[in-house]
Amino acid sequence: MKLSEAWHLSRIPYGEVAYKSIIQTRSGMWWGTYGRSGADGESRVDVEMAERALRIAKFDKLVVGVVSVITSIIPFASAFTQPPPPRLMIPISLSLAIAFSFIMLYAVQTLSSFVSAESSALLSTLPFTRDDFALITLLSFVRSVDYMVVGSILSQVALVACLTTSPLATLLMLVASSTNAVFAVSIALLFSRLFYRNLLGGGRSKVNTALRLVFLLAWGLLVMGAGILFSIAWYVVPNLEGTLLSLDSSPAFSVLFPFSAGMTVSSTVYPQAALSVTLAFAAMAGYVALAVIAGRWSLGMTRRISQGTGFRIARGLAEEFSVKVRSPLFGYVMKDLRISSRNPATAFFYALPAFEAVIVSLLMMGHAMLRTSTILVATAMGGVVSLFMPLGLLNAEGMGLEYTKTLPVKIGRIVKSKALISTATYVPVPLALLGMAFMKSPTSPLAILIPFVTVLSIASASIVEIRLFLGLVAKRKIDTLIHDLGRLIAGITIALIPEIAYVTAYLMSTDHISAILIMGGVATAELAMANYLLLRRS
Amino acid sequence: MHRTCTPLIEVSGLVKNYGSIQALAGLDLQVMPGEIYGLLGPNGAGKTTAIKILTGLVEPTSGLAKVAGFDPMEDPIAAKSKMGYVAENPILYESLSPRDFFEFVASIRRIDQRAANQVVTQLAGAFDMSQFFDSPIATLSMGMKQKVALIASLFHQPSVLLLDEPLNGLDARSSHIVKDLISLHAQRGGAVLFSTHIMEVAEHVCTRIGIIYRGKVITEGTFDQLRSRTGGKGETLEEVFLKLTNEEEEVAETIKALRERFYRDEIK
Repeated sequence: MKLSEAWHLSRIPYGEVAYKSIIQTRSGMWWGTYGRSGADGESRVDVEMAERALRIAKFDKLVVGVVSVITSIIPFASAFTQPPPPRLMIPISLSLAIAFSFIMLYAVQTLSSFVSAESSALLSTLPFTRDDFALITLLSFVRSVDYMVVGSILSQVALVACLTTSPLATLLMLVASSTNAVFAVSIALLFSRLFYRNLLGGGRSKVNTALRLVFLLAWGLLVMGAGILFSIAWYVVPNLEGTLLSLDSSPAFSVLFPFSAGMTVSSTVYPQAALSVTLAFAAMAGYVALAVIAGRWSLGMTRRISQGTGFRIARGLAEEFSVKVRSPLFGYVMKDLRISSRNPATAFFYALPAFEAVIVSLLMMGHAMLRTSTILVATAMGGVVSLFMPLGLLNAEGMGLEYTKTLPVKIGRIVKSKALISTATYVPVPLALLGMAFMKSPTSPLAILIPFVTVLSIASASIVEIRLFLGLVAKRKIDTLIHDLGRLIAGITIALIPEIAYVTAYLMSTDHISAILIMGGVATAELAMANYLLLRRS
Repeated sequence: MHRTCTPLIEVSGLVKNYGSIQALAGLDLQVMPGEIYGLLGPNGAGKTTAIKILTGLVEPTSGLAKVAGFDPMEDPIAAKSKMGYVAENPILYESLSPRDFFEFVASIRRIDQRAANQVVTQLAGAFDMSQFFDSPIATLSMGMKQKVALIASLFHQPSVLLLDEPLNGLDARSSHIVKDLISLHAQRGGAVLFSTHIMEVAEHVCTRIGIIYRGKVITEGTFDQLRSRTGGKGETLEEVFLKLTNEEEEVAETIKALRERFYRDEIK
C-alpha cells in the first residue's frame, strides 16, 4: 500500500480516537443538560455531539501545534538578536527538548484510548495485509501530533537554514528534528500503554493501589512541571542558556541528547573542540540508530494493537461478590476519586496537593521569618491551583454521566461531592504552612490561621464554580472557553475575598485578632451563602 | 383485568422533535402492574426516544410521561427511585470495575448493605461474573456490560423496569435467566416496558405488544389479538408485524430484487 493511501485511510481510526478522547475527557461540555436550564433537546443529538467533538479535537490540535511551534522557536531568538551570533548548540538543543515535551505530553493526554485497539476495529474487517493495517494504525497515531511534528521540524530546519545558510547544517538539523519526533512519538506510545495498563490493571490489592498512586503522582508532577516551564519559557530560556553555555564544552555533555544534536549541527558552522565534536557525531549516529529501533518498536506495537494483541488482560477470579454501601454523598465521592484517578487527562490533578506544598515551601526559603504577606500569597496560590480541580472532576465523568442521569441523585449531592474533593486537595497547603511555622517563626502567630480559614472559602468557591458549570450549556468551542474562564474567575474571586477582607481590616486596625475574626466571618458567610444557593437551586 | 388499576407507566400525546425530525408524533401507551409491554417497531420508529423520555434523559417537546405516577422531568428523584433502566448500548463508567459500579449505584440508591450483597451475590453468581467482577468495565464484552447494567437496574427492586433491547449480546444461558427475571418481576406486580427487535422474544415474554411506527403506536394487544387484526394471517409475530406496518409487500419485493441481483445464476 502506498504511504499516501495509508495516510488517507488513517483518518478513520484517528477520527475515532479523537472522538473518544474528547467524549471521555471533555464531557463537561454537555454537563449543562444535567439540569433543565438551557437544556435543548437538539443538543443531545448524538451526531451533533460527534461533530462537535471532532471540531474540538481539530481546534485543540491546531492551538497546541501553534503554541508548540512558537515555543520551540523562542530559544533561537537570541541567535537573531545578539550579534555576533552565539553558537547554535544551545538554541537547537532547547528547541528540540521543548518540541519533544510538547509532542510527548499532548499525545499521551489524548491517546490513551488509542492503545485499546478499538479505534481500528472498523478497518480490521477490510481486506488489508497485516503490514498495511499496522501502517494505517501507526499513521492514525501520528495524525494526532502531525501539526506539532511537521511544524516543529519545518520551523527548526528553516531557522537553521536561515541562520547558517549551510546545506550540511540544514540537512543535519532535518535528521536531528526527525529523530527527536520519532523519540517523542515512541515514548508517548509507551506512556499510553502504561496508562492503559493502569486502567486494565483494575484490582483492589493494596500493592496495585499504591503503584497506581505513585504512577499518578509522578505523572502529575511531570505534567505540571512541563506546563510551568512552557508558560515561563521566555524567562527561563535566557538563564538556562547561560548555565548550559558554561557546560557545553564538556565531552559528557556532547553525548547527551538533544545536546549532541545541537553540537553536531552547530559544529558544521562554528568550530568547537575536536573531542566534543567527534563524540557528538558518534552519539548522534547512535541516536539515529536508536530512533530507527524506536520507530520499529512503535510499528511493532501498533501492529500488535491493530491485531488486538497489544495487551494481555490478566483477570483474577473474584472470591466473593460483596459490595460496600456508603452514604450517597460518599458513594459519589468514591466514584469520582476512582474514575478521575484512572484517567490521564485528569489524574494529574491529584498531584496538585504535592505540587502546592512544594511551591509553598519554596516561597518560604528566602526569609528569616514567616511573614504574613508570604502566608497570604502562598494561601492564595494554593487556593487558585485547587480551583482547577472541579473542572477536572466534571470532565472525568465522561460518558458515564448518561447513566448517572437515570439515578435518583440530586444536583446538590453531585456538587458537594466534587467540592469536597477539590477542598481536600487544598488541605496540604495549610498543613505545609503550619510545618513551616514550626521551622520559622511567623511575624504574627495568628497569621497561621489564614490558610485554615481559607478552607471555608475554597469550599464555597468550589460549590459556586461547579454549580455554575452545571447550569450552562456551551454550544461552540469559544463558548466553552468563555464559560470555563467565567467559572474560574468566579471561583477565584470567592476564594480571595476573605483574604482581601483580612488585609483591609488589618490596614485599618493594625490588629491581627480583629483582622482574622473578620476574615473568618466573611468566609463563614460565603459558605452559608453558597450552601443556601445550592439548596435553593437543586 | 389490569384496566381497573393505576398504570405504572403512562404516556399520552408524547411528541419529541429533534429539529425538523419528529421522533415521536403523539405516542400513547399505558403499562399496568403485572404487565410486560413489548414495544416493537422498525429502526427509527421512536422506541428508544420514548424510553429515554421516561427515564428523564430526554425532555419531550410536549405530552405527558409518568413513571409510577411521577413525571420524570417535574419530579425526577421520585420517578428515578421507582425505575430500573437498561440502555440499548449500556454506557457505564468504563474505568470502574463491576464491583465499584455496584457500590456506587447501591450507595446512591441507599440500598441496605445486606440487601445489596444479597442481590449482587445472587445475580453476579447467576450471570457467571466471577472472572470479571474486579476488571474495569472497559475491558468487558458487550454482553457482560449488559449484565452489569441489568444487575444495577434490579438492585432496588423497582416497580418499573424500562428495558431497551436488554438481551443485546447475551448468551443463551443469561438470556434465559433475564427472561425469567422479567416474568418474575411482572408476577410480583411490577411493570415492564420492553423494547426489542427480536419478535420471538416479544412473542414469548410480553403479555401485551404495542407496534410503534413513525412515532405512534399504531396497534396494541396480545399476540392473538394482533393476529386477529390481520385476519388471522401470519403465523409468527414477524409476519403479523410486517402486515400491520404494511411492509410485507415491500419486503417481498426487496428480497426478490436482492435475489435477482446477487444470486441470478442460481435463480436461472
